[in-house]
Amino acid sequence: MAAAFKYGGYVGQLLRVDLTKKGVTREPLREDWASDFVGGVGYSARLLYDELKPKIDPLGPDNKLIFMTGPTCGTMIPSGSRGSVCGKSPLTNSFFHSIFGGYWAPELKFAGYDGLVLEGRSERPVYLWIDDGRVEIRDAAHLWGKGTLETEEIIRKELSDEEVQVATIGEAGEDGTPYAMILVGIRAAGRGGLGAVMGSKGVKAIAVRGTGGVPVPNMLRAYNTSMKLNEVLFANAGVKGLLEYGTARNTGPLNAAGILPTRNWQTEVFAGVEGVTGETMKEQVVKANRACFGCTINCTKYSVVSSGPYKSVINGPDYETVFGFGSMCGVGDIKAICKADEICDEYGLDLMSASCTVAWAMECFEKGILTLKDTDGIDLRFGNAEAMLAVTEKIGKREGIGALLAKGTREASRIVGKGSERFAVHVKGLELAGHTPRPFASAAVGYATGPRGGSHHDARTTAEKMGISDRKVLEDKGVLAAEVNHFLIFNDSVILCHLAETVWGPVGITENAVEALNAVTGWNLDVQEGRKIAERQWNMIRCFSAREGFTRKDDQLPPRMTEDPIPEGPMKGAVMPRETLERLKNDYYSYRGWDLETGNPTRAKLEELGLEFAAKDVC
Amino acid sequence: MIRDVLGAAAVEVEVAPPETVKGVFDALLREHGRPLAEKICDPNTGELTPFPIRLNDEIISSILDGDRPIESGDEVTIISPVGGGC
Repeated sequence: MAAAFKYGGYVGQLLRVDLTKKGVTREPLREDWASDFVGGVGYSARLLYDELKPKIDPLGPDNKLIFMTGPTCGTMIPSGSRGSVCGKSPLTNSFFHSIFGGYWAPELKFAGYDGLVLEGRSERPVYLWIDDGRVEIRDAAHLWGKGTLETEEIIRKELSDEEVQVATIGEAGEDGTPYAMILVGIRAAGRGGLGAVMGSKGVKAIAVRGTGGVPVPNMLRAYNTSMKLNEVLFANAGVKGLLEYGTARNTGPLNAAGILPTRNWQTEVFAGVEGVTGETMKEQVVKANRACFGCTINCTKYSVVSSGPYKSVINGPDYETVFGFGSMCGVGDIKAICKADEICDEYGLDLMSASCTVAWAMECFEKGILTLKDTDGIDLRFGNAEAMLAVTEKIGKREGIGALLAKGTREASRIVGKGSERFAVHVKGLELAGHTPRPFASAAVGYATGPRGGSHHDARTTAEKMGISDRKVLEDKGVLAAEVNHFLIFNDSVILCHLAETVWGPVGITENAVEALNAVTGWNLDVQEGRKIAERQWNMIRCFSAREGFTRKDDQLPPRMTEDPIPEGPMKGAVMPRETLERLKNDYYSYRGWDLETGNPTRAKLEELGLEFAAKDVC
Repeated sequence: MIRDVLGAAAVEVEVAPPETVKGVFDALLREHGRPLAEKICDPNTGELTPFPIRLNDEIISSILDGDRPIESGDEVTIISPVGGGC
């Protein structure tokens, strides 16, 4: 066991596995990095900045993959037991983090580790078995080529323990699909292709069993804070909707507001919405609610389609699945969406990137850029559910048209050309999430400047959508975008779930979030000190991107957002012109104290945040 | 569900002067009391929580646009509090 760590909420130890040498080492967590960067994404960003050389191949042995927990993980703090995976992304070629729920992250902590670093590359497929202090690198030749759910089942049988928590990749991760995900029990680390990074290291799965605990300095304080935060969560209308309908509660309201991305963003009103609302989902497919460790929200839905062509069993679908395989592909049938979700889970595909790439291909098909010859005879029109499912399956197998679409929207449009780049909707290679930036300026500049690109976990439309900030006023939106960044990155380091954003956020660092962190660590941070940590974390990640060569010119939105107004509905006419975006970027960089020309942090800002070591790389 | 509290997907509301968006919610809260307040009001302040409203063909805000005038026949749609997705 590790020696007692200075702060509560941590077990004080990192596990490092060198897959090339088959070596396993344990190292103490750094106290200075814990206090400066907390845990989760913040700690991982600091570590990766130190240990990754610039410009490495994301799928080469020099990349590292870090699974990290935060101080609330494994405690009673509600919605606080998530984990993060970080590395250099094969989809965006820069720092990427993906957050997951479920039970794996607390299990790792109970096994005695705050985090796990994978490095090098195994020549033969392996899986890791972490059983408290014992760590084995096991042969996985018999698992390679198998689906995610079957892999989980085989591992549990092999280890004769139904309680083992498993993180696994599917065929997509094995084959290096740049948007392959990692399935983690009932949830997934979906975005950015970190499943492909895991596959490139020859790691099929990581099984964990732990029997330890998480020390907190004052149990009564942790207990009372948890109870209080649970009360706050239960009284929150946004959270109540999650219990009833999951994240798909958003589908109907977003359509009513005229902001449900539809048919590859050609419009934002979906005529078939009634077939895919949260209410329809609850009535037709949902059989039970499921919760992540220590969470009282129960937002995950267990859904079953018991017969017919869409027969399937899934944990979901979440809103992003409904938007992606529903309105984006013009499919108004919740059962077909469940089937698409199951296919993505099985092959280990990020269903957001997969569905958005299919929607782009549908637009190509309808415009005659792709023909039946290109699509293996599939009539790839919007609204054709069978066609959508067929090409999704082909993506999983990288077969025929699937091999092209497995590259993601940006790369596929580069290969196809013929003007299809014009409606390839991505930022920095990451397909945009189901939250429109056209009428929401802070989201627009947030997406554009986000280190991951089109992630709705770097930018949020919530404050403007709900009217907390007046969307018609542009002057404060650069500042708003930065403070939304701070809410998100701070939460991703503690790690608190963004779905309870109206409690933990939705803008800046809140008393609730700081209280959760203080209760388990024994710290007495105030909101301003929390903000400083968040600003340091965000600048660290920006330095990583800058060192990779990203600059202001990469902070863009796709033409569909800057040139094509929403054509109908209550948001008709909304668009984010490039000149407006450039002005918002100026506001954003100025507020952050970044250089207006390059968009990089300045030396003065880095010194202020204790990041002066990065100045040589980016200033 | 708000429509369960109201007893229907759409209801007609008589609004006393001044005839504003806020007046619509005051009238609804008078009629439906606590069950509706639990859905749309802050439990600590009793004020409306922030959520989008569709006023005919325009999206407005519950907290920024309460003084918007309304006329007979206007349609006011409550759009559930929405956050980000997963």
